[in-house]
Amino acid sequence: MNYFFNKNGPLISTYLIISIGFWLVFLIIVPQLYMFDLSFRPNIPTLLRGGPDDVYTLVHYKHFLFGSETSGERYNYVDVGVFLDTILIAILITLINLCFCYPIAFYIAKVATAKTARLLIVSLIIPFWINELLRSFALRILFAGEGFINNVLIKIGLINSGINFIAMDVALYTGLNYAYILLMIFPLYNAIETLDKNQLEAAEDLGSSMIRTHFRIVIPHAKAGIASGCTMVFMLTAGALATPVVLSSPNTFWFTQLIYQWFNMNDNWPRGAAYSVVLLTVSVVFVLLMMRIFKVKIGEIVR
Amino acid sequence: MKSQQALNILLGIYICIFFTYLFGPLVIMSITAFNSAEFPSVTPWECFSFRWFNEGKIAYDGQHLAGLATDWRLHEGLITSLKIGLGVVLLSVPIGLSAALVLTQVHSRFRTAFYSISIMPVLFPGVIIGISTVVLWDRIATMGGGGLATQLGRNGVFLTILAQTCFISTYCFLIFVARLQRFDQTQEEAALDLGASQTQVFFKILIPYMMPAIASSCVIAFLASFENYNTTVFSILSDQTLTTVIASKVRLGISPAISSLALVIILITLTVTIAYEVLRRREDAKKREIEADALYTQTLDSRLKKVDKNTFSIPKPIFGILFVIIICIFGFNKLVEKEIYGSACIAATEKEKKSNFAEQLKLLQKNADKASQTSSENGDTDQKKEFGDIFGDPDLFKNFGGFDTKKKDAP
Repeated sequence: MNYFFNKNGPLISTYLIISIGFWLVFLIIVPQLYMFDLSFRPNIPTLLRGGPDDVYTLVHYKHFLFGSETSGERYNYVDVGVFLDTILIAILITLINLCFCYPIAFYIAKVATAKTARLLIVSLIIPFWINELLRSFALRILFAGEGFINNVLIKIGLINSGINFIAMDVALYTGLNYAYILLMIFPLYNAIETLDKNQLEAAEDLGSSMIRTHFRIVIPHAKAGIASGCTMVFMLTAGALATPVVLSSPNTFWFTQLIYQWFNMNDNWPRGAAYSVVLLTVSVVFVLLMMRIFKVKIGEIVR
Repeated sequence: MKSQQALNILLGIYICIFFTYLFGPLVIMSITAFNSAEFPSVTPWECFSFRWFNEGKIAYDGQHLAGLATDWRLHEGLITSLKIGLGVVLLSVPIGLSAALVLTQVHSRFRTAFYSISIMPVLFPGVIIGISTVVLWDRIATMGGGGLATQLGRNGVFLTILAQTCFISTYCFLIFVARLQRFDQTQEEAALDLGASQTQVFFKILIPYMMPAIASSCVIAFLASFENYNTTVFSILSDQTLTTVIASKVRLGISPAISSLALVIILITLTVTIAYEVLRRREDAKKREIEADALYTQTLDSRLKKVDKNTFSIPKPIFGILFVIIICIFGFNKLVEKEIYGSACIAATEKEKKSNFAEQLKLLQKNADKASQTSSENGDTDQKKEFGDIFGDPDLFKNFGGFDTKKKDAP
């Protein structure tokens, strides 16, 4: 500690300590802990907080699993269903994104000339800086009942009447895929870029086929990038709110929309907090899983 | 080698498809901003107009659809967003810088732990950061008992700044860490040996070295704050930012005014990106020139001597700009020829829609009259059923002007 003060001088040391303390304690740790605490509290009016009714309870988690006590169902099929749907679809979208992005990342990193690569990267960044809501809105125009795709399909005679893409959730899944595709490309690109081109040539000279080269050389080399991209895409997809708000059909829910409902429409904050904790747990488990599967450190995932 | 070529061609085609997927929706959305129809669409093209950028319009059924320039909710949201962005930049850049500095000094035993905690906010879903901030500050506001804490805790702008700072600081932190890795520590030691105080070292050596990273993290922090929705929607409470206004608009019903807003944002992004790219290239070229000169003065090899080119060459981008201008003139000519531009066209379509709508209103009125007549004759029984029949008239929605049936019915 003394060393720290000596090294930075009194003024700078104070600044460092205050700003980091403020951030770590006040913005990151305490809010999460308080939310965790709140999720075990009953939903009572503000005035009764701290009173005799304010005891720890598992009622919200019970509600998530088994539904309200008045319903006849054994489990809370609606909420658990939404939850499982969200997780499964997020995993699926992550895998699809990975397959989509791998060739692009490989092309930019190893095949294209420096100038082309630069141009491609810049044109990849442009759509990334446009608001997620507006990008979803663009897809909504395409997929609407009287929208572009339907009109084109009718004109060329493939279908007779419009397909309701939004009710079929095609629009939602495309939107989620579209929204975070770039967060998969950049980590992959960064990882593949560091691969020595001589290794590829050596593999070719030794008679390895194209596919074999990819599976034996490129993918093992890029595994940190793959882990990083998959984690980011999964997190953002599972936690997405903007895209489902614009593109989901009225009878489909994304898990975040469920949380939003408990918070803003039903005014049941502790239950919303409990559902958030469930989502957070899944996220943490997913990160740990990725670290275990790909044998990477957490520092390699976020870069 | 032949298979290699075929593979490369396939890859090229795939990349074309990919970029179409990436840009196609944005291009189509931009085009819809110029269609005068109430619903953002391309194919039933009504009239070419700029009305969604200006005053919007009053639809055939009297519903007012605001344009970009007249929508005060959008303007208020924009101002709130700018305020929040500024606050986030002011908080998160210093926090990110200090965290990055401490990371280089912290004992290696704690380094991993410190690093893990610092990057955690990026791995949290955005909604959770918003929620946790709101619930904590609601508690603080309740305990504050009407003082300053209560006012702050119920202020949506303040809460949003805090919530966004939580994860945007991590972005800044990562940028600073990357830059600090290349920092030459001997500079600091030299300055200290020459008698500078630690504070002087910080301001005279470290900050100038970090300046590029500070600039880029300011830009990134502002943009990330400006386009954030997931966190903001919880922490903003009763206020509105640009993104929440857009979201509520989209939920109520989509209007081409949003397309025009998107087009404006796309154009700003494009301009900034191109300007940045041009600057970068110029800098690179200058650096290369200096290096070449240095090499020449070192070796005095005449082959390396730069030959001044006096011939004037036309810069390539001019061709691109000329091409775009020609396309624009050509397209505009076509629009005028087909009479789908200007007030005359708009007036014609409006009139048609209005008359359609008026006819339908009349039909509705007639049916209602008939229904009330029959029901009074029958002595008020089954009234509900009779009135339900008003809308059962097959003529009623036959040529409903609201959507795109108009073009087919027009002679």
